[in-house]
Amino acid sequence: MTEQTEKAVPAAEAPLPRGEEPAAEGHRIAPLRGELSNTAAFFWGFTCIAGVLAVWFVITAGPPGEAEKRMVSPTTLPSVAETFQAIPRVFGERKLVTNTLVTLKRVCLGFGLSCIVGVPLGILAACLPALRAFLAPLMVFGRNIPVAALIPLTFFFFGIGEFQKVMFLFIASVAFVLSDTAAAVLDVPQRYVDTALTLGASRWQIITKVLGPLAAPSIFNSLRLLFGLAFGYVMLAELVKFGSASGGLGDLINMSQRRGEREPILLVLVIIPMVAWAIDRALWWLQSDLFPYRYGGAGLIPRFCGWLLHGRRTEFRP
Amino acid sequence: MTGAAPDNSPESPGSVRPAPVDPPGDGRPAAVEFRGVTKIYNEGTSREAVAIRDVSFTIPDLPDKGEISTFLGPSGCGKSTVLRMVAGLEPQFPPTRGSVHVLGREVVGPGSDRGMVFQDYTSFDNRTVLGNVTFGLECRGVPKRRREAEGREWIARVGLDPRRDAAKYPHELSGGMRQRVAIARTLVLRPRIILMDEPFGALDPATRLDMQDLLVRLWREVEATVMFITHSVEEAVYLGDRVFVMATTPGRIAAEIRMPAADAPAREAQVEPWFHEQVNQLQAQLEAIEAAASRPGN
Ligand SMILES: Nc1ncnc2c1ncn2[C@@H]1O[C@H](COP(=O)(O)OP(=O)(O)O)[C@@H](O)[C@H]1O
Ligand SMILES: [Mg+2]
Repeated sequence: MTEQTEKAVPAAEAPLPRGEEPAAEGHRIAPLRGELSNTAAFFWGFTCIAGVLAVWFVITAGPPGEAEKRMVSPTTLPSVAETFQAIPRVFGERKLVTNTLVTLKRVCLGFGLSCIVGVPLGILAACLPALRAFLAPLMVFGRNIPVAALIPLTFFFFGIGEFQKVMFLFIASVAFVLSDTAAAVLDVPQRYVDTALTLGASRWQIITKVLGPLAAPSIFNSLRLLFGLAFGYVMLAELVKFGSASGGLGDLINMSQRRGEREPILLVLVIIPMVAWAIDRALWWLQSDLFPYRYGGAGLIPRFCGWLLHGRRTEFRP
Repeated sequence: MTGAAPDNSPESPGSVRPAPVDPPGDGRPAAVEFRGVTKIYNEGTSREAVAIRDVSFTIPDLPDKGEISTFLGPSGCGKSTVLRMVAGLEPQFPPTRGSVHVLGREVVGPGSDRGMVFQDYTSFDNRTVLGNVTFGLECRGVPKRRREAEGREWIARVGLDPRRDAAKYPHELSGGMRQRVAIARTLVLRPRIILMDEPFGALDPATRLDMQDLLVRLWREVEATVMFITHSVEEAVYLGDRVFVMATTPGRIAAEIRMPAADAPAREAQVEPWFHEQVNQLQAQLEAIEAAASRPGN
């Protein structure tokens, strides 16, 4: 007995710490789904950017004037320095800022139209099963339509002006807006509807006072993500053009391609995601501020609107 | 009244309080009446399930007083089904067979004359406490100034601070506070029937006792009929003027027991000997019913 225990104790003790150590270590360095400190997050992000730039730098490096000695020829990929030297040209001659604004205006119009049509219709579709079934084929069709094939079609229908681009975006995105909105409303737990019913709410009041507002944070979140999608679509529409220059980022890329310039295209590729990211962050801030109870924002806009609407009569929270 | 066993009288040695007797019928319609109600889900399919079978009971409408009826029973015996039928909520409503009457009228759907408090928190997240409490009045079209004044009054009555808490959002509240809001939101509409489906089930014991006191106090004020589902025998005894014990497969009412009214606060009443006596007696009865239900061949 004693012998056995004496043997068993070290035998049992020895592997335990050894077995636990790597687990504990792993827990510290890479906690599963855990939070990372800002510094660490910045470090890893920076490492990624630096890594990409380094690879780019190495494969395009070579003595000046001897382009054929580079690993990748400059006609395929210009060097880092060459690309960044093109910055003034892209901002000046190619009017990057103006073209970005032209593109943004188109996204806002087309996607805005999608929202104006898709959100109310989506809420109604979620509430009325017959309408939902009626719209179901359109949603399936609209979500799976080959977007590129839509472009020539919209030229036939809507001409070659601004209207065509707006309508293209509308057709390409409205089905997503509609079905995401309907899904958000259907996701609101039934107990809220039951509660409202026992408090005497009518069917219409349940839609406008309960389902709509409770689904609003999810709807806004979907719209924010879909905005990014629309931003990509519109450039596709701008790439295809008839006749004169139509402006926009797609057009800028098109023009550079015809002139055989790679640097502006690369720069646009770098700048566009940054613009898209900035817009996304701005929308996220708006979202968390509009729905503080869901995303923990400060609620400045709702409070400001409340103050505008009701003035001194509202009580302020400290 | 179904299933009232003869030995249901709570009077026994140690029981200080006599059980009340039903007041003489004065022709008033019952507050709630079930007449042979059966509910079968998915009838005629392979997923057919009998929730309750042939349930009949009556809760009288005591003038200027009202009664608290508590419903006790194992999970799945149809307590929520009964309550939601009174509320007129789908899919429990309408009954497969039989009829449900409230104050002499057959239930045809939900309405604010029957308020309901759920176990799950159902505060509207996008509304402040005040916005939640005034929701029903808003639906009725009561002008903003008046409904907010009334809302603040009720926020105070359920033990919240109208100055500090009115502008808070539900996610800033504790579970107990959320249920206080749910109660205020229901009572501000002055319902004649108040339905509560395990409203304090998710609360810690101390909060639960506070909420029981609150409920009794408010109930005396509004003089409504309360139907209260609970898992806790203590809660059923303390709150109940009448306890319905339910049994399962199929869901039915196994016993209806009159209880003496407890007039002391929950913390005091629930340590008194008569209270323990009552709880033990009911507990034994509950176990006997469950044992009978689970006996093979039953
Ligand atoms: N919507 C439904 N569809 C099918 N069966 C249901 C539904 N709701 C409840 N049931 C069944 O009816 C029985 C009673 O349910 P319920 O009234 O919720 O019981 P309790 O509240 O006493 O726990 C249970 O067996 C449950 O599975
Ligand atoms: Mg239940």
